Amino acid sequence: MNYIVLIKQVPDIKNIPNEAWDWEKGTLKRALLDNTCNELDKQALAFTLNMRKQCPGKVVSLSMGPPMAEEVLRYSLALGVDEAVLLTDRKFAGADTAATSYSLAQTIRKVERDIFGGDRNYVVVCGMQSIDGDTAQCPPQVAEELGMVHIAYASSFSFDGGKLEVKRITRRGGETVMPDSYPCLVTVTEHTEAPNASFAGTRGANSQEIHQWSADDVGADPDLIGLKGSRTNVVKMFSPKDFSKKNCVFEKDLENLVRMVDEAYHHKPVVTAGQEKENYRLPEGKKGDYSGEIWIYAEQEGGEINPASFELLGKATELAGELGEKVGAVLVGKDVKHLSRDLIAYGADRVYLVEHELLEQFRPLPYCKAIVQAIDKYNSQMMLFSATPLGRELAPRVAYQAKSGLTADCTELRIVDFEKGKQEHVGVLRQTRPALGGNVMASIVSTNSQVQMSTVRPGVMVALERDDRREGEVIACPVDLDASGLGVTIVSSEISEHTFDLSSAEVIVSGGRGLRTKANFDKHLSALANSLGRLLEKDVVICGSRVAVESGFTDRSHQVGQTGQTVKPDLYVAVGISGAVQHVTGCQNSRLLLAINNDSNASIFKVADFGVVGNAEEIIPQLISILDRQGGQVSNVS
Amino acid sequence: MSHNNASDLNKMDVLFVGAGPASLAGAIRLKQLLKAKGRNDSVVVIEKADKIGQHNLSGAVFEADVLEELVPGWQEDKSKFIAGMVKNKVVKDEVVFLLGNKLAIKVPHFIVPSYLKHHGDYLISVSEMVNWLAQIARSLGVEIYNGFVAREVVMEDGVVTGVKLGDKGLDEKGQPQSNYVPGEMLKARVTVLGDGSLGLLSEQLGDKLNLGKNRNPQIQSLGVKEVIRLPQDSKFGHGHVVDTMGFPNKFFTPDIFGGGTFYSMGDNDVAVTINLALDWKYCDLDPHQELQLLKSHPFVAGILNEGKVISYGAKTIPEGGYYSIPELVANGAIIVGDAAGLLSTRKLKGLHYAIKSGMLAAETIAGALEKGDFSAQSLGKYTDLLQHSSVGHDLYGARNYRQLFARARRFAMYLGTLNSFFHGMVRGRMKLKPDFQHTSTAKLARKYCGGIDKLTDVSLSGTTHREDEPSHITILNRASCISCVAKHRAAPCEAFCPGQVYRWDEGGIVLSPSNCLHCQTCRVKCPFQNIGWQLPEGGDGPKYKVM
Repeated sequence: MNYIVLIKQVPDIKNIPNEAWDWEKGTLKRALLDNTCNELDKQALAFTLNMRKQCPGKVVSLSMGPPMAEEVLRYSLALGVDEAVLLTDRKFAGADTAATSYSLAQTIRKVERDIFGGDRNYVVVCGMQSIDGDTAQCPPQVAEELGMVHIAYASSFSFDGGKLEVKRITRRGGETVMPDSYPCLVTVTEHTEAPNASFAGTRGANSQEIHQWSADDVGADPDLIGLKGSRTNVVKMFSPKDFSKKNCVFEKDLENLVRMVDEAYHHKPVVTAGQEKENYRLPEGKKGDYSGEIWIYAEQEGGEINPASFELLGKATELAGELGEKVGAVLVGKDVKHLSRDLIAYGADRVYLVEHELLEQFRPLPYCKAIVQAIDKYNSQMMLFSATPLGRELAPRVAYQAKSGLTADCTELRIVDFEKGKQEHVGVLRQTRPALGGNVMASIVSTNSQVQMSTVRPGVMVALERDDRREGEVIACPVDLDASGLGVTIVSSEISEHTFDLSSAEVIVSGGRGLRTKANFDKHLSALANSLGRLLEKDVVICGSRVAVESGFTDRSHQVGQTGQTVKPDLYVAVGISGAVQHVTGCQNSRLLLAINNDSNASIFKVADFGVVGNAEEIIPQLISILDRQGGQVSNVS
Repeated sequence: MSHNNASDLNKMDVLFVGAGPASLAGAIRLKQLLKAKGRNDSVVVIEKADKIGQHNLSGAVFEADVLEELVPGWQEDKSKFIAGMVKNKVVKDEVVFLLGNKLAIKVPHFIVPSYLKHHGDYLISVSEMVNWLAQIARSLGVEIYNGFVAREVVMEDGVVTGVKLGDKGLDEKGQPQSNYVPGEMLKARVTVLGDGSLGLLSEQLGDKLNLGKNRNPQIQSLGVKEVIRLPQDSKFGHGHVVDTMGFPNKFFTPDIFGGGTFYSMGDNDVAVTINLALDWKYCDLDPHQELQLLKSHPFVAGILNEGKVISYGAKTIPEGGYYSIPELVANGAIIVGDAAGLLSTRKLKGLHYAIKSGMLAAETIAGALEKGDFSAQSLGKYTDLLQHSSVGHDLYGARNYRQLFARARRFAMYLGTLNSFFHGMVRGRMKLKPDFQHTSTAKLARKYCGGIDKLTDVSLSGTTHREDEPSHITILNRASCISCVAKHRAAPCEAFCPGQVYRWDEGGIVLSPSNCLHCQTCRVKCPFQNIGWQLPEGGDGPKYKVM
């Protein structure tokens, strides 16, 4: 077996030097950031080198970027990669994910021809996403261009009798899959520790030759690369700080506090770029650039609709109202027709239903085919996916096949008119998303696209109230599939209750030095987590500051902060945490932050939405009794 | 790795440890000399920082004469660094007495002692400078590898044969993780130790061979530095240096040896440093707090104009002078720069000495390579060259300077010229005692004065250490901490550490090794000498860019 590992040089956004901020514009000076190898690509390198140990072959590392990206290739050589290819050409400048994916795919074709001598028995491995773009779009789109199967979220592998089996993480636990054919593409999430290079390896890599290939070398079609080949266009970059300014509400009456937090928790605001939102109207006598229905992809797994899809319907209804169009939902699966009722109740005018025996379990290839078929047949101008793990795996392939631009992980969607260059754009979807680890915001529009596509961060948009009187029609869209086109065989799957991942925790209770002892920390926080969990009907995760970890209150894997994990829950309760920058960088993206601290000047209150000044050990028991009373009410009502 | 096997890759002719100005200047000079002779010996520099320059900090008011020797015609260099440096030639230097927390008196230029005059010097960032030097070195064929820590000096039969690198990929308990790479042995014909102030390897070698015999102990001062970005309308300008004396120290009865310096950096940035000799007596002195106090003085606050701190760091400076410099050569090894204790005590400048020492080491090594003789005797030429160079003359001239300060209750600080006269009359060597012995139970009991808090400053240093590696800082004996706190009614380490690594918490010291700035003040200043400081995994530590 041979291997190609894709690696990317990215700005080191874990260590942003303060001088790199342009405070006036609120953006980052990219040139002042250090460069480093994308962290997940290091995982991909470790994954690949471990595969080679079990099933020997040649490993080629491939990176696309400016000449200085050579540095990450040297690192890969130092780790023992056999050959390295740098794809570099000014013609690639301005490429979005689609144009990048095409360019990489062309390069992989050349590696197959020139380095592997036409042998198609190889695996392409890459990190799930890069930390700068954070779109996770390139890997599925490279796979789409090359007609390969894509196995996402891989965590480990085995070669059973020479056959590759990959264990991957799914929303409901995990599964083991086997590619039906080669080549195939694997994206790695968490595999192991980032590999270290030895001195000898590093020195040896220094004198090794790196292939430098240009756009012409890989036979790239000039119309499909760089800015020209891109289907999205960044129209504006701005600072996220504008709307993250917080005014902490201090509340002495805990009863009141709980009510306010509960209310704010359930009322998810739409993040807008400052100005009040006015309804969009098409200008008199003008036609929009796009026309057709507003679609969403209704994500279902195991016969259940992901609630994030209802949020999409809420947004789609709003956009459709502004444009005077209908809302469509694409529902794919086996025996899922009954779910149409839910979709209609939450706002769909039409449900495009694709059912097939082979669509029982989610697999990207047949699902993509089913959706694209519907897109080609009916008339839509926009399609929204949830930025869930499944959505992030599926949407890029759909967009690529449907020759459409895709913007990942949007937090704001608006219809706008604008001029760029001499061209006037009317009624287009402006998609706003965080970039560079949430340090800047980018507004993006689709260009040269059949349909404008976005994945939308779950929890940002607001679902409509369920209304079972709402009416809609269900349109069946038959699809031709045969078992040979499934791409992977699912060997086994497991459903596990708890896959521990702080970054996806929705409610976090976190403690610091103020809790003084481990006994206190355990007693108060677990009681608080239980009561809060019951009230909000969520699993609550208990974390700690670095001081809490150093003092032995909790273990390293639960540390939030600069050197711990970064979290963005809907609610973060900071108990006895002073709020040093080192901690705050890890939790400042929480939607709501409640701080309990006995020092009213503690910096945690600067980033908190709600604050209680007082001794945590006195306040928490009071808080718990109130929560339990209200939690009790909730369960009585339902 | 086709034709090279691992053991060849771990061999080199000359190894420089630590990519600071001394090593890089040495490596550049050596390659220049070897090229002129048509030789192609391998010259390797290793550096513990993740990237070049990240562990280099200086209050760099730089006397650039030495640069003309190293890089002739350097002013013509088109790099951004040189352009910035030329723009920042000192045109205005002032010495200001800060009396109490209100008054400031400018000292007339004619009574400013010559060593406090900076005209013709350049204001630079040493992090940027080493990047520039590294570029020149690479272009000459010097190999530079960052992220590798040298843990031990390796000796065979009394000859230094190289260094052993630190392990990578150990977990908290010291067990190998999946990414474990054992520290390799690097073999070199000559090893040049340029591991900086309090360099552990130089110290190891010194201990093994008793290189400090009949010398004074080395003493240090600590420099704490912030770079502050001024608002657009500020008028500090280019090429401007201000040295301050007095506040926050008591003016008439000064008992802490030190002072402040401000100087222009870049277009709108000002570096603010405070230097404090580590022989202070106060057990609650917090150098970061002293810097904030200095900034709160109306004169200073006026300069800073509510600018915003963009970078922070700390470094010790070897201050003992002539009589604290150990024997600098051994069989197969040479010590250069700060590691050798080469610093002008009067000017508190060491950058030009570092560069010069590296160059003299290079000249020595070039000769040794030709002869194939790396004995201490052959390398001893370095000591001779150094003695007879400007560095040697300067150092000898000020040989008892610092000691007089230590004796004269510091008031002599203001009488620099006079002191310069007296110390010249002292024959032989005045003795010094180590810094930690000066700590007493006396307290400064400073009041809060605003400014930026220590942890925020620490975050601006960019420092980080892998949280799950074995702690590079250890408390040797927990009981000593309890005695220490009982004696001082405070934990001195909580105060003196500019990185907030130490925290007293009912019955023991809790460590935050991740905050460490690698200044090693703790090692010198812990009154019970109870702190063990090791080099952490390669790549860890501060991430200075403009320091």
